[in-house]
Amino acid sequence: MAESYAPAAKVRPKAGFDDRLPLGAAWGGRLSLRARLRWAGFLFVLPALLHLLIFKFYPMLEAARLSFFRYDLLTPPVFNGLLNYKAIWENPLFHQSFWVSAKYMFGVSLPEWFLALGLALLLNRRMPGQPLIRLAYFLPIAMSQIVVAMVWKFMYNPLGLVNTLLGFVGIGRTNWLSTEETALPALIAIGVWRGIPLFGVIYLAGLQSIPKEYYEAATIDGAGPWQRFVHVTLPLLMPTILFVMVMSLLSAVKVFLNPLVMTEGGPNGTTRVLPYFIYETGFAYYRMGEAAAASMVLFAFVFGLTLIQLRLLRRGGVE
Amino acid sequence: MSRKGLLRWGGRLTTALTVAGLGLVLLPYFWMLSSSVKTGSEVFDLPIKWLPEAAQWGNYPDALSRGKFPTYFFNSAVVAFAVMAGNLVFCSMAGYGLSKFRFPWREACFRLILSTMMLPIEIILVPTFLVAREFGLVNNYGGLIVPLAVDAFGIFLMRQYIKDLPDSLIEAARLDGCGEFGIFWRIILPNCKPALGALALLTFRDNWDQFLWPLIVASKDTLKTFPLGLAQMEGIDSAAYHEIMAAAVVGMIPTALVFLLFQRAFVRGIALSGLKE
Repeated sequence: MAESYAPAAKVRPKAGFDDRLPLGAAWGGRLSLRARLRWAGFLFVLPALLHLLIFKFYPMLEAARLSFFRYDLLTPPVFNGLLNYKAIWENPLFHQSFWVSAKYMFGVSLPEWFLALGLALLLNRRMPGQPLIRLAYFLPIAMSQIVVAMVWKFMYNPLGLVNTLLGFVGIGRTNWLSTEETALPALIAIGVWRGIPLFGVIYLAGLQSIPKEYYEAATIDGAGPWQRFVHVTLPLLMPTILFVMVMSLLSAVKVFLNPLVMTEGGPNGTTRVLPYFIYETGFAYYRMGEAAAASMVLFAFVFGLTLIQLRLLRRGGVE
Repeated sequence: MSRKGLLRWGGRLTTALTVAGLGLVLLPYFWMLSSSVKTGSEVFDLPIKWLPEAAQWGNYPDALSRGKFPTYFFNSAVVAFAVMAGNLVFCSMAGYGLSKFRFPWREACFRLILSTMMLPIEIILVPTFLVAREFGLVNNYGGLIVPLAVDAFGIFLMRQYIKDLPDSLIEAARLDGCGEFGIFWRIILPNCKPALGALALLTFRDNWDQFLWPLIVASKDTLKTFPLGLAQMEGIDSAAYHEIMAAAVVGMIPTALVFLLFQRAFVRGIALSGLKE
């Protein structure tokens, strides 16, 4: 550890402490405190930065480059200009995937925004057994995706729990995951079910950071519960709301596991989301170039979304 | 109705809503537990059996003897703990460097790091695999762990938290002659336990759960993680739902346990990490 040069750091407590005093013997004894700190700060960041450069930025650039090559992993890549983009543009399955992803994203996010806020408002009230109720609501956050996928696949079975429960209210049996109209909504329902507790925690944290005095003042001014919600809660919660909007969209756009293990992208491609399309094109058909081109489209999509969200965040007075 | 009566009914309604919502959230888990101790034929019995006639505990050893489940669990544990350790160390270091030091391009570094949040593995799947292959990180533990060892979200979380620690703590230690790494290790880390707890939980959960990356980078059966093992088991015998549920219950225990151990730190950590930049 760094104790080795500790004895050198003899500081004379005099007025107007000069931070250019050469302190660090282990740093060659030449660097001023300010320069030493500059280096120390940079060195703290360096490992993480290097890692991200190697495993995030370089792959991103590589994806951009690869999208102009034909590459099957076995033979060396061959430059083919825009042919990959042309190929996916002319591939009806790509268009279908794009819209499936868009539907899934908004299908999951929109209900999450409202239901998670509703949950947080419910849990923010005083009620008997509140800590236990909160714990139970938040427990699913800890659950692994694959377990969720397996349980829901089991429940969506034609003979499964979902059909049995719907049978109680007189709705006939459906093969949820193998019917074109119901497969995507079935996956969306899982996404919503899973997302609500997580975003509920975030909203709840936001609600609890609103000072109680504001509510008291509003009550004294004669504001009812609804007015307090609209004029105190909503404006003060705005940063959290925007954060949840970004996070929910960005987490929905990369859904992959459920379509893979529950529907294999089917029936008829109705659940083949873009990440699944990329995976299939790259690792099932070994068309790495086309997969990279599809990745670039997905990235543009995510990038555009993030820019819009940042703009909104700024307008929301967060920065 | 009087205002008071209206309020009372409103209160009852929200309580009822809370309980009903709780039922919806927990029902799948209850169903999983109950089905895991049913016989194979009871699972789809009609009229519905909420609980089995007699608990079939034998489902658990039966399920775990399919495939190489002990190995899958071990692999998931290795990946989860190693990636968690990597994130705790590197993200807190970077978070400290970015919040308590001044150096040229610091903000640019931070923005660069943040922007990688837009690059989930799903988007850069193909080239990340190629990079891993170049480094010899295919079909070994290194491949399962190293590419995931740092995540920008963790850096963001730690930076937000450390930023709010008082500078005087650090300056006092520096005047006492504590080295820079010593300050980080003995002053900063002990003071950001809530954020570390939150980060530990989140990375443990996400990486116990790794599916797509192991699927790509490890084709050997002995390197499969629990999610791959479970999916494979379901793919081979999708009728054995009682045993699939038993395996799922076992696979759920580590994350549930970690959550229960860290849940306070987790909720507090999110609250304190300051969602507003």
